[in-house]
Amino acid sequence: MLTSLKLMIRPSNLSNYYFSTLCSLCLTMSINAAEIKNEPLQIHGFVAQGVIDANNSNYINTDESISLELTEVGINASYQLNDDFRIAGQAVYLNGGNRYHAGPRLDYLLLEWDAFHNETWQASFYVGRVKNNHWLYSSTRDIPFARPSIINPQMTYFDGFRDLAVGGDGAAVKLSYSDDVLGEIDFNFSRGKSVISEEQTDVIIGRFALGKIVHDLDTQASTYWRPSYSQWRFGISANDATFSYQQAGIDNFFDSDFVLQFYTINAIYEGEFWQFSAELVQERFVINGFYFPDFHRDEIGQGYYLQASYQLEKNLSILTRYESFYANKDDRNGSELAQNSGGLVPSYFGFHHDSMIGVSYDFSDKFRVNAEYHWMQGGARLSPLVQPNPIANDSKNWQVWAIQFMYWF
Amino acid sequence: MSSSVINKDEIIKAIFLNVAAVILFFSPQVEAINIISNITADTESLSVTQLRRIYSMRQVHWQNGTPIVVYVLASKNPLHQKFCREQLRLFPYQLDRIWHKLTFSGYGVAPIEVANERELIQAIKSTKGAIGYVENLLEVKDVNIIEIDD
Repeated sequence: MLTSLKLMIRPSNLSNYYFSTLCSLCLTMSINAAEIKNEPLQIHGFVAQGVIDANNSNYINTDESISLELTEVGINASYQLNDDFRIAGQAVYLNGGNRYHAGPRLDYLLLEWDAFHNETWQASFYVGRVKNNHWLYSSTRDIPFARPSIINPQMTYFDGFRDLAVGGDGAAVKLSYSDDVLGEIDFNFSRGKSVISEEQTDVIIGRFALGKIVHDLDTQASTYWRPSYSQWRFGISANDATFSYQQAGIDNFFDSDFVLQFYTINAIYEGEFWQFSAELVQERFVINGFYFPDFHRDEIGQGYYLQASYQLEKNLSILTRYESFYANKDDRNGSELAQNSGGLVPSYFGFHHDSMIGVSYDFSDKFRVNAEYHWMQGGARLSPLVQPNPIANDSKNWQVWAIQFMYWF
Repeated sequence: MSSSVINKDEIIKAIFLNVAAVILFFSPQVEAINIISNITADTESLSVTQLRRIYSMRQVHWQNGTPIVVYVLASKNPLHQKFCREQLRLFPYQLDRIWHKLTFSGYGVAPIEVANERELIQAIKSTKGAIGYVENLLEVKDVNIIEIDD
């Protein structure tokens, strides 16, 4: 117990150090921003702090108390080397309680090559650590003022998979086309892999697994289309990822391979007062090994969300969303899941539903507060995913509320 | 009988025209928005689609190859709002969304924001390939004025 406490304290102190450093950098850069306006160097950043509470769940913390573990700080820089090449990088500090491990992260660090451009086409290549730019909000999931809500729709933007899904080390291509007839068409392709920390392994698998997860390869592609002068935009994406689990010398689990294939279709409408967006998701999750050497599971999950927001007045808007996800489309009530686990995993871990309402108020161009309430049902999007925790999450229905203040420059 | 009808019509018309003239006289003058660029841009006109492409950072070079440097006022500035709606036919939040996505994902850069119209004009004059917008052209010199074709 003492050892585990010490282990918890040390990274926390280290995290506080990184947090303070990032905050100081943000403040300094914000003050100096005016002085570097005409330079090829651009610096931007954000600071967000909130209060969050989850009831009847360990989504945020184990004692279900009101928490300040809703901190997001980031700073980025972009430097234009010449007409064709640019380098850019972003460091973030995130603390979301049990949602993902707290600490600093190198979000992206890339070299961009503007390979080709004319009046209608633009082709760019990116090498380094690149962000996932394929889903509707994937590249801004951690950017408090650029995402729709404090808690993202978990069926697509599952917090437990955050470090795997946010991007990776590799390369990306972006092709853009636009004209008066076809409108705007974008094609994105990326290939790479993420580094998975021990803490993140705990978030995904659970503390009883002593080995480590390796992200072998991740291939993603997406296409977006906005018809000419339309307020609608449509997108489609596909993701094929493979992972392996390497068991420790003494371990409760075995060497294994995981396959995650993830497909999305999305649409967004941007009107003067109304905005609508929706995403449909299908995921195939294959486990070979892990529980015992010959174990095999191949399941297809499905889900969707519908979201609407309305601008009540210049600085005030409201948001509502309904989300529904089934981990196995052939076992929507989770009865097979409960049966196959010998009753250890309750049936409500087979699905995840979320009805939410939120409000957003802009104090100024760069200072906002968001507040929201979620009525959650089910545990299919609670960490750890591979080894669910029905003791800490012993209720089918659970609730989350959060208020977050954010500043950006 | 008919002449009295004509007279009534003429009177009503005269009253209407006079009232309209008084309203127009006392109304605040509505200025058109003008697109200006640095003289290196070497472009006399742009279509609305081209202007949208430039402001959504999908076109980053002028026809002569000079890199485009986009300048804007703050998102809630009335001139910026008017520019978005009237010239780009976009809502300001749509541009914010595009720029935030580019800036915070590393896939591009956002326009450079300046504090006021005077700073914007100065930046256009002194920055190679710069583009921006102003409400009043009277005090603007040494810049290229771009006509927007519908």
